Amino acid sequence: MTTTDTTGRTGNQAARRAPASRPFFKPSDFVLEAILLVIIVLLAFTAPGFASWDNAMNILRNAAMTGIIAFGMTFVLILGEIDISVGSGLAFHGCLLAVVTESMTNAGWSAETAVAIGVLLCFGIAILAGMFTGWVRHALAVPTFITTLAWMAAFRGGAYLLTGSFPVTPYPEWFFFFGSGAIFGIPFQAFVFLLVFVVTWFISRYTVFGKSAYAVGGNAESARLSGINVLGVRMAVMSMIGVFTVLSAIMVSSQIQAGNPTVGVTWEFTVITACVIGGVSLMGGKGRVWGTFVGVLFLSIMLNGMTLLNIDEYWQYVARAILILGAVLIYQVQAMNARRG
Amino acid sequence: MGPAKLEISNLTKAYPGVLALDDFSAVFDGGKVYALLGKNGSGKSTFVKCLSGAVIPTSGEIRIDGVEVNFKGPADANAAGIAVVYQELSLILDFTVAENIMLGRFPTMGPGSITVDWKKTNAHVQDILTSLRIDIPVTAKISDLSVGQRQVIEIAKAMSLNPRVLLLDEPTSALARHEINSLLEVVRSLREKGVAIIFITHKLNEIRGVADYVTVLRDGRMVGSVPIDVATPKVIVDMMFGETTLQNRPADLKVGEEIRLKVTNLRRRDKYEDISFDLRAGEILGIAGMLGAGRSELLRGIFGADAIDGGAIVLNGTEVKRPTVKRMKDLGLAMTMENRKEEGLIQIMSIEDNLCLASLNEVGQRGFLSHFLQAPVAEKWIGRLQIKVSDALQEVQSLSGGNQQKVVVGNWLNTDPKVVFFDEPTRGIDIVAKQQVFQIMWDLSRRGLSVVFVSSELEELLEVCHRILIMEAGRFIGEVREPENTPIETLYAMCMGETAK
Repeated sequence: MTTTDTTGRTGNQAARRAPASRPFFKPSDFVLEAILLVIIVLLAFTAPGFASWDNAMNILRNAAMTGIIAFGMTFVLILGEIDISVGSGLAFHGCLLAVVTESMTNAGWSAETAVAIGVLLCFGIAILAGMFTGWVRHALAVPTFITTLAWMAAFRGGAYLLTGSFPVTPYPEWFFFFGSGAIFGIPFQAFVFLLVFVVTWFISRYTVFGKSAYAVGGNAESARLSGINVLGVRMAVMSMIGVFTVLSAIMVSSQIQAGNPTVGVTWEFTVITACVIGGVSLMGGKGRVWGTFVGVLFLSIMLNGMTLLNIDEYWQYVARAILILGAVLIYQVQAMNARRG
Repeated sequence: MGPAKLEISNLTKAYPGVLALDDFSAVFDGGKVYALLGKNGSGKSTFVKCLSGAVIPTSGEIRIDGVEVNFKGPADANAAGIAVVYQELSLILDFTVAENIMLGRFPTMGPGSITVDWKKTNAHVQDILTSLRIDIPVTAKISDLSVGQRQVIEIAKAMSLNPRVLLLDEPTSALARHEINSLLEVVRSLREKGVAIIFITHKLNEIRGVADYVTVLRDGRMVGSVPIDVATPKVIVDMMFGETTLQNRPADLKVGEEIRLKVTNLRRRDKYEDISFDLRAGEILGIAGMLGAGRSELLRGIFGADAIDGGAIVLNGTEVKRPTVKRMKDLGLAMTMENRKEEGLIQIMSIEDNLCLASLNEVGQRGFLSHFLQAPVAEKWIGRLQIKVSDALQEVQSLSGGNQQKVVVGNWLNTDPKVVFFDEPTRGIDIVAKQQVFQIMWDLSRRGLSVVFVSSELEELLEVCHRILIMEAGRFIGEVREPENTPIETLYAMCMGETAK
């Protein structure tokens, strides 16, 4: 019989033991990246105009709008929750910003002040809405699907009510930079997209909060009984996606130069599609921000390539379906193989 | 039909790098109960999987009543007359007993009809229950039954297919003693029907009343089958482990003067009331009682996992009115949950993550956390608690029950606690792992930490604790001050409320 020592006398010995060997690079971890690479090469040769700087920037610009929200959605899905209100949220925040800007400039405020106040108001509402969703989920066990279904209706309705269903166009020239401007030839959105990617990637890998989110998504009861602030994590994550939705709304408004209540329809599904392609599990506890990053690019490049190849828009829907199912099937087979050892 | 006969010849199952079953041969006769024993990893579960059709053996033969059978899936095994009852229940909670038993093959009002004949369903199930001497109404909802009753219904469901061979995979692991007795009663009635019964268990004692033979597996091989009357614990343990000695509480563990935890008149409606006790530095306090006595509920209440309705808790000199897990953790209380898979661990996270779960803020630095901060913590506890791990970044669900339990313990010891609650820490783990858990408790005591140990295994409490409180129906009804001089029969009688004092 060996004795078990909890005083730590053998701790150093254990620490000195060589770490278990694990392959640094596993090809099976990079299936998605490899497929994307192949597609890029194929499109470069077949799609007219695909392999050009302008087209690459075009792809980035389009990817950025949904991509920013997808990073928030990654955390929501890791938590085992869902947010289907982001498309309507996009419209609502865009309209709110436009209406606030319009009324304040009409009342004699400067456009700068008006936009700043409008943005702060949007952030405030998004954060409060997210906190409410997280709290209702936690305290009353209302699924986030239901709560965000309600938000979806409320935001869309709010967007129409605020604008009287017509686009509102109060913005000064400088505001259009966020949607159409570029720095060193790279669209402004791309920088925001990359910034949000780096920040969320860092949070997911190198913070207590990120680890807590995985824990709550993996098993909320175990997390609670380990003293993790489950309510706090839920409220923070649901607020975070709201904040990213507002960022996206600002850039969309800037690009279309208006607050328009009809934007963002079915965006929630595009966003979730990107996450799923990137390997984020809807069961919670699993998913990588990097995966979502690749998923967003994958989706944008596919759609861009098909448009350049003059493929009918209806066929593009079919391609999307194949993409989602194909990705999920590959991940499931991989997971099953891993389980079998 | 006469008694069944199950013959296994040279059964081998090879996984990459391991022989889970190595040339295993045995004969199981109908009308007999075989207790199948073996520590974790001995090949028991692979044997069950081969017989249930869940895995296909690499080589070897299985014959039922002299006829060779080959299973491609569980349906083949069922058709050949093998039924398996698993530890995890498969009943639908919102359905009745009769609905669950007849699921998938309801009698209809006539040929070609799609309307279920409920009268016939209930009558048929009533016949099955009567023949097994089970006294549970066929119209009762499963959700209204106790865990023990559900297990009995699970067996009745398996028996409704008239199998020749019945495998029971640790059917008693979640049951209290009186529930085990009624389950064993059902097993006895099955024996009379000529069925060959293979009863897998970790508990040496409870099989005495029902088994005819003890069959032992070790390292994928058959060690032997001995009649129950010559299978003394020494014989069985020798067969299972080769050489081992059971330990007793070391003599040097002293109870200090300082009171670490003082609980006064604690109560929670319908769970427990009037609970008062002191826990001193270095003390290992056992809490004994039947399932449902309120032991786990009490610990959970003090720990802050569930609400309490009243009473006072003083932990390390601080009075706590409304405990929460976070608050109690910060004050130096730790608790390993009874249900380690669902409440203690996050199965899909790594061993490393699970070892840091309760101390994320301490392992992290100003909110930042990384593998480089976590790895030394994981290494430390893997070494100290001798957790068998090849790679700390593996998912914790890849570990055996005993090693998972050690991860739970390591997770909590990393919070640097002063008082540790262990709720059924030895459930479903083998004897060596159990002894290691006892060693951990003794070592905590030696370092002046206080331990509360809840277990359904009375001999464990006698072996490990300084003092044992007996709980029944939510109250303390007795105390054993000298566990080392108390026979198990006495403690058992006290738990049954026979000599309450």
